[in-house]
Amino acid sequence: MSELDPGNCSMIDSPVLSTPTTRRWPTLAGLRQRLAGRWVFTLLLVTGCGVLTLLVLAPLYTLLSKSVENKAGDFVGLENFAHYLSSGGIESAFFNSLWVAGLSTVIVVCLAFMAAWALTRTRLPFAAWVRGVLVLPILAPSLLPAISLVYLFGNQGVLKDWLFGAEIYGPIGIIMGSCFWTFPHALMILLTAMDNADGRHYEAATALKASPWRTFWTVTVPGARYGLVSAAFVVFTLVITDFGVPKVIGGQFDVLATDIYKQVIGQQKFEMGAVVSVLLLLPAMLAFIADRYVQRKQSASFTSRSVPYTPSRDRKRDAVGALMLTPTVVFIFAIIGMAIYASFVTFWPYNLDLSLNNYQFGRMDGGGWGAYTNSLQMALGTMVIGTALVFFNAWLMERTPQPKPLAGVFQFLSLLPLAVPGLVLGLSYIFFFNHPDNPINGIYGTLFILILCTVTHFYAVSHLTAVTALKQLDKEFEAVGESLNASRWRVLFTVTLPLCLPAILDVALYLFVNAMTTVSAVVFLYGHDSQLASVAVLNMDEAGDIAPAAAMAILITATCAVAKLIQGGLRFWVDRSTRAWRQGTE
Amino acid sequence: MSQKTQGSRLEIQGVNKFFGDFCALKEINLTIEPGELVCFLGPSGCGKTTLLRIIAGLEQQSAGHLRQGETDISLKPPRDRDFGIVFQSYALFPNMTVTDNIAYGLRSIGMPKAQVRNRVDELLILVGLEDQARKYPAQLSGGQQQRVALARALAPSPGLLLLDEPLSALDAKVRHHLRSEIRSLQKQLGVTTIMVTHDQEEALAMADRVVVMNSGVIEQVGTPLEIYQQPASAFVASFIGAMNFIDSAPMNGQRVKVGNRELDLVRPLPAAEGDVRLAIRPEDVHLLPSGDGEWEGEVRGLDYLGAFIRTHIRLSDIELDLVVDVDPRSARRLDLRVGGCICLNLPSDALHCFAA
Repeated sequence: MSELDPGNCSMIDSPVLSTPTTRRWPTLAGLRQRLAGRWVFTLLLVTGCGVLTLLVLAPLYTLLSKSVENKAGDFVGLENFAHYLSSGGIESAFFNSLWVAGLSTVIVVCLAFMAAWALTRTRLPFAAWVRGVLVLPILAPSLLPAISLVYLFGNQGVLKDWLFGAEIYGPIGIIMGSCFWTFPHALMILLTAMDNADGRHYEAATALKASPWRTFWTVTVPGARYGLVSAAFVVFTLVITDFGVPKVIGGQFDVLATDIYKQVIGQQKFEMGAVVSVLLLLPAMLAFIADRYVQRKQSASFTSRSVPYTPSRDRKRDAVGALMLTPTVVFIFAIIGMAIYASFVTFWPYNLDLSLNNYQFGRMDGGGWGAYTNSLQMALGTMVIGTALVFFNAWLMERTPQPKPLAGVFQFLSLLPLAVPGLVLGLSYIFFFNHPDNPINGIYGTLFILILCTVTHFYAVSHLTAVTALKQLDKEFEAVGESLNASRWRVLFTVTLPLCLPAILDVALYLFVNAMTTVSAVVFLYGHDSQLASVAVLNMDEAGDIAPAAAMAILITATCAVAKLIQGGLRFWVDRSTRAWRQGTE
Repeated sequence: MSQKTQGSRLEIQGVNKFFGDFCALKEINLTIEPGELVCFLGPSGCGKTTLLRIIAGLEQQSAGHLRQGETDISLKPPRDRDFGIVFQSYALFPNMTVTDNIAYGLRSIGMPKAQVRNRVDELLILVGLEDQARKYPAQLSGGQQQRVALARALAPSPGLLLLDEPLSALDAKVRHHLRSEIRSLQKQLGVTTIMVTHDQEEALAMADRVVVMNSGVIEQVGTPLEIYQQPASAFVASFIGAMNFIDSAPMNGQRVKVGNRELDLVRPLPAAEGDVRLAIRPEDVHLLPSGDGEWEGEVRGLDYLGAFIRTHIRLSDIELDLVVDVDPRSARRLDLRVGGCICLNLPSDALHCFAA
């Protein structure tokens, strides 16, 4: 044993010791020892930090510096900002963005809270199905509700009269469309917050003779308060940074997101695009910081001694719950149903015969079926590269010995993308990767840069999911492994990864769906050979081919739904084949 | 592969550990003999787990040396040290069967399949889980999981077994049973074992020697009997078992003054100058019928604890509260009642003496 013990020969004298009979051992042992050393993991995480710096920090820096330069690249201080101010951009776009996002946030959070209450505090039948319907919008690109709203309330819309003469093209349309696609995000946050209620609090309230109404205000609402705040920040950020809905249905109503697009694509004023980006970055950053602050407080609220709450049977409360869910469910069905119907109508509103004409994308501008296959490739690439990168980095951070400051830097870099709106990220990628001095500017205009950008765009949420899953594992697994002579790598492949499989599937689906549906970041980055389906929706809509745009949006949604089904199937299979070792762990 | 392995000798020399400015361990010197079972005992935060983790290589000591057998292991990573470990949470791999868990360490060192199978069977018999081999950890009871963790740690025949609060997650009955089981297993295998615990009863019942620790230093090392009967410090005296403390002033020779009485001591006074604290265990106080003893007191409370009665007595002339354990028969004889008067003696051979 002692001859083979790698600890006996230090790396310096091992060449001397390597006699012909033991020639292989010292090198192998030396390698093993080096791999066992902490510095390998530190080096790997430093590399991870480097990659994220390249993907987030460096482009952002380029964007910021661009905003204080003129067209020729000379430093001009805040001149660009002054110019934008004097052109009236602040009054219109900035304040429009703020109030539209604010109002949407109020509406969505109220609706989502009602729905979450109905799903967690009543015993409605089909609650699981209703949950499924309510999160459907997450599978659709944000352009879909806008297109659907045009068919419902537009100039030739079927329900135009319902608006009493008001225009759907403008704030009303933006708010309705934004509510549709941000609703699932708020709902999921609130469901998590409210699922974790402590049943003992309700029993205490009952024992102290509180009325249901008082219990609601003293137990339910305070219990969900962090969820409410978090949901509000998330929805606000999503709406203010969204580009799809206002682009399609905003009409003459300017918001920051469409303003960037106009400055860059319409007028080729890149430095002004950078200025508007910085203005858009500010509220998003503030919301991000505030949200992190609130989240930190939340962590201690649910302890292991809590007893999960189960609602008692109460017909009256069930009826109230049904009443609260109905408008949202109807709205979601109406939007998706209208889009599906419109995509099959031959020529709206004159020939209502159903046909597949609108799905013959080859006849339209926008990239045709090629755009769709590009999107599929891009989404699959994002899924594979993103999931691997996210999990590996999260594993390094959570399960290997790392110096505290390094882990802190890495955590910051991982969460930073959450604060960067897609449009801003896309624009900063132009500045950074299309720069003639950038050695890798060759990837500009290829699918690869779209993949990189999308991975970065959705890195933060994936990272949080991975870290949460890794944190749940017993913190001594690696120590046990070491005592049993197994390296961290062996523990990773034999224990950690199998245990994290459900979370890995979740992250993979999240990345795939978002890569399929995203418009904002990629709209600046696609090239002639890398058109994407979601961008095609935008371009067809702009060209007036609104029915084919609806068809493409439905196709994207259907693809995401299939991906969701496959992922659901895989998760079911994983759950079933691992049931034996999971049972009793609840 | 023999059942009996030679446990290794462990030497800890001048180990210090700092977390920032906080000193978690201060000049720890300790030698553990082959085949010995040693308990690190102390309140939470005393550094016992830190010391165990340093022995395992999971923490790096700030200064000092560790020597296992003839090898200096001070700087070796955990993988190159020779130990098995059982954690409080067991940290069993939930996705593997009992067999795969136990075989994990054997496969790491590339043991041939047939040998692995034999060794696993051997261990399953050893811990009495032959019929549970195909099950997953979640399907076992807490006590069974504990045994799997033990078997997994013992599988590669380590010279040193480290147990980090291995019984604290179990309920009282299983704990008592496993206590003796682990002890006999350890004796049978002859593996040097270090167990960390905050449960004094566990330490006294299982250990060859107990290492009592407090705020990063070793207060006393000794057999359970020594620790209980000859505590080296007031801390050990109060931490192990129950103890009454009486403040007193030293007089000339072996005498001390309590209130306005003088007491003779059998044990030597502490070397340091100044006041001393006398200490006496509740079972060592002699209770006598009223009027018969040196001290007069009033019974303030009686706690029935099954085998004995814990009596709270107030000595009014020196304003001191004493706790005295009495067996039920004597209690009847003395007619112990709350509010009643009682006399007592403090036998000088039972009096401990510490610096105040």
